[in-house]
Amino acid sequence: MAVITTRGITKTYNPDTIPVHALNGVDLDIEKGEFTAIVGPSGSGKTTLLNIIGGLDRPSEGKVIVGGQPIEELSENKLIDFRKDHIGFVFQAYNLIPVLTALENVEFVMLLQKRPAAERRERAMELLRAVGLEDKVNKRPSELSGGQQQRVAVARALAPKPTFILADEPTANLDSTSTAQLLDIMAELNHRESVTFLFSTHDQRVIDRARRIVTLVDGRIDEDVQQSQPATS
Amino acid sequence: MTARLAWRNIWRNPTRSLVVMVAIMLGIYAAMFMSGFATGMARSYVNNAIRTMVGHIQVHVPAYQEEARSAYFLPSPADLAAFAKKQEGLAGYSLRTQVTGMAASSHGNRGVQIRGVDPQQEGSVTDLDDLVADGDFFGETRRNQILIGRKMAENLKVDLRSKVVLTFQDLSGTITAGAFRVTGIFESGNTGFDEGIVLVRQSDLNRLLLPADSILPDSLSMPDSRVIAHEMTLLLDDPGQLDTIQEAFQAAFPGLLVENYKELAPDLRLYESQIQNISIIYLAIILLALVFGIINTMLMAVLERIKELGMLMAVGMNKGKVFSMIVLETLFLTLIGAPIGILLGHLTITYFGRVGIDLSAFSTAMQEYGLSEQLFLELEPVVYYQIPIGVLITAVLAALYPAWKAIRLRPVVAIHKI
Ligand SMILES: Nc1ncnc2c1ncn2[C@@H]1O[C@H](COP(=O)(O)OP(=O)(O)OP(=O)(O)O)[C@@H](O)[C@H]1O
Ligand SMILES: [Mg+2]
Repeated sequence: MAVITTRGITKTYNPDTIPVHALNGVDLDIEKGEFTAIVGPSGSGKTTLLNIIGGLDRPSEGKVIVGGQPIEELSENKLIDFRKDHIGFVFQAYNLIPVLTALENVEFVMLLQKRPAAERRERAMELLRAVGLEDKVNKRPSELSGGQQQRVAVARALAPKPTFILADEPTANLDSTSTAQLLDIMAELNHRESVTFLFSTHDQRVIDRARRIVTLVDGRIDEDVQQSQPATS
Repeated sequence: MTARLAWRNIWRNPTRSLVVMVAIMLGIYAAMFMSGFATGMARSYVNNAIRTMVGHIQVHVPAYQEEARSAYFLPSPADLAAFAKKQEGLAGYSLRTQVTGMAASSHGNRGVQIRGVDPQQEGSVTDLDDLVADGDFFGETRRNQILIGRKMAENLKVDLRSKVVLTFQDLSGTITAGAFRVTGIFESGNTGFDEGIVLVRQSDLNRLLLPADSILPDSLSMPDSRVIAHEMTLLLDDPGQLDTIQEAFQAAFPGLLVENYKELAPDLRLYESQIQNISIIYLAIILLALVFGIINTMLMAVLERIKELGMLMAVGMNKGKVFSMIVLETLFLTLIGAPIGILLGHLTITYFGRVGIDLSAFSTAMQEYGLSEQLFLELEPVVYYQIPIGVLITAVLAALYPAWKAIRLRPVVAIHKI
């Protein structure tokens, strides 16, 4: 069964004034363990689609089913709880809570899930080690570089063992070394924990690493290809 | 977790948080100081009146309270005195003879109330013996000594040893006069008292009111041992026993009118009842001002964190938790300053409640109102409950709007405001 299913998603911003049709009928199935990039020109609807799949925004029409759950049935607050248990987010920026250390940030969602302290600590340490930040666990975000912050964000997104991770241009603010590092980590964790990754990007080096590439143009899927030999760093 | 986040959040902008905390601290301090001052003033006014004039309880014949005529004297002052001696809880009693008349010196005359007292009794009831600024309180044994207020001395242009002639009607209705020598000048701290009342020995006044072999008109019956007294004034050890002792006297002397100071001087009752309200009003005004300051600060703190709050809701922090986080931040902000303010306020009130504040610079104006120069700060104990409750209500009120603002953010909108 698909982890994510969308059927006939449309999204119109400002329907009453100057309508902007950001999505015009998107049907998409994402299977467990995928490592998929959503690409397309600026304004093609990548962010809008990820927000709708992540339950951060509601579609104008169409259905989103995540892990068997049609999310339109969930109230605002239920949706927050649903995201907590099923979806990991990596945003372009402002991912971390500035007053918490790297370790506390990674533990944060597990804390909301009321996981036992020992389990939280162990999982957070394991993930921070996996993203190569075991020596920065007690640093606050302001003491970390942009790339390090994004790696903490990936660890934070993975910590609660979500069904899948949504990342909207996670490397947009990173230099090429940090981009490569982050991609390595994402690919490694995708492999090791078989977590599904769905990310949007403009960056050719990121696109090259994806196993499936979905191209959006004007809010429609224009192309959907499997990449048999994704690049490795 | 929410508490830890909230706690750390208030220290993100330490200057701003400290400003709010100090404002709350100072606000509470100011409210306490002002109510301490006002309570102290009211108390001083009431106590002054009690200690110089009314005492706690007075006994008269009912007619005397209608019209203060010298014929309305107490029928048996000796019985009253005997009862007072037996009564527990009395600091003292004084039987007073009171006559309205005229005081004249070579420079002029003034209408006065002449009060005849037994110096020892009177000293146990009023502070007048301590308030004599020049001379002494009937220290000599000579007859016809008179004590007058500073203001009266100025009005009549007299000084110690000067002669003052008192003129009034005796009990048979004849105008009588007596020459008195000033042996003491008092400063009661109350201008009205100082220019309206003179004190003489009861025996001297009685001799003029009821000359040795005079016969009373038929309408009057001779009081026992020929002592004329119009008023008995009682001072209690503990004002809390006011009702008990008042009832005891009333029961023992059903024909007499026994009144407490609140009945005798309604302005004192008003003052006492206002003491309770003063502090609430001060507190309310200051807390109201603080509410807006706190709301403003918290709104700023929420609005500059829109993206972060959106992110928290995106990753799974539900609205209840976000709401409580903002409320907790406000509570921390408010509740840190409050205890310090209360402590400082308490210390100040305790200190100046013991030492007093010297207001002699304003004493002329103060005395007009019957206040003493030394003001002792005082707070009703209930204020110590009102303040924390008031502050808590303030904090919660101030927290609700910013917290509500925060949960109304939609994560997607919030995150995209980059
Ligand atoms: N909140 C909004 N209100 C109105 N129009 C919007 C809003 N958000 C997006 N749009 C419009 O919807 C369309 C799709 O936007 P979207 O952000 O999804 O594109 P994108 O593919 O993510 O672009 P980029 O690569 O620049 O991030 C654009 O035309 C955009 O202007
Ligand atoms: Mg975008």
